[in-house]
Amino acid sequence: MSNRYVYGVVEADTVEFESEAVAGAERVYTVSHRRLGAVVSDIDTTDPEETDADAQRHDEVLREIMDYDGGTTVVPMQFGMAFESDRALKNVLRGARPAFRRAMSDIEGMVELGLKLVSEDGAEVDREAIAAEVGERLDSIAAQVVENDLFSDRLVCNRSYLVAEDDRAAFDDEIARFEDDHDELMVRYTGPFAPYSFVDVKIGAQ
Amino acid sequence: MFILDDLLFRPFVGIVNALHSIALDELYDVEALEAERKENQLLYELGERDEDEYRRRKERLEADLEVARDVHERLSSGRVEVKR
Repeated sequence: MSNRYVYGVVEADTVEFESEAVAGAERVYTVSHRRLGAVVSDIDTTDPEETDADAQRHDEVLREIMDYDGGTTVVPMQFGMAFESDRALKNVLRGARPAFRRAMSDIEGMVELGLKLVSEDGAEVDREAIAAEVGERLDSIAAQVVENDLFSDRLVCNRSYLVAEDDRAAFDDEIARFEDDHDELMVRYTGPFAPYSFVDVKIGAQ
Repeated sequence: MFILDDLLFRPFVGIVNALHSIALDELYDVEALEAERKENQLLYELGERDEDEYRRRKERLEADLEVARDVHERLSSGRVEVKR
């Protein structure tokens, strides 16, 4: 397994732990260039297949990185970034260094939280009013918000929020109150995740 | 005669090919299948769909998606043969 599968980039070179990682790997460690570290595990391909199990392992490893050493800021990569060698990976770290630095400063001390509101089967809902209410109640607590695809007719609202760790409790409380106020909706509140939706660093293996 | 047929029908061959591509796009709509796959996952997570039903749909959708992606790849590479 000579290739490196990348989970994210951190500003440290000391992240190392045992985990159930992507493609059966058991050790997660850092490949560093100057003060940037790509958190990786070994893999035998540069084109990993996105199975449900491996997508989940990718997310779980990212969560472990976020919790590492009392809290580590990680610029997350989407599933599937794998490099032939440490050298190729270090070249990418060198080339994208300013972008990683900017992204890290944007998301330091923040987590991503997901909110999906689904109408109860057969319930009539005023979509616009609900979207406005959600905005009014949650947007001021969050640092940023993005609207996601409404991929189902029953999906009334699908948003991702970037929330400061310090504001997590207030955000959780507001979601709970919103849920109490809306029997006609099912609430799917997820996270915390590494802030995928709020970083825009794309790296390639070439 | 062959030349006359060719001249008369050539414009329609182009239209038929275009219509055929549109029909293939609709039949193998990757975006719609992806949306259905996400909805299946969401309704399962919310407890509205039981595990058997979720798995049955998931398997079908993944198979359909594989076929749809393959068709689109062939369409974009011009490797789909339009038979009439």
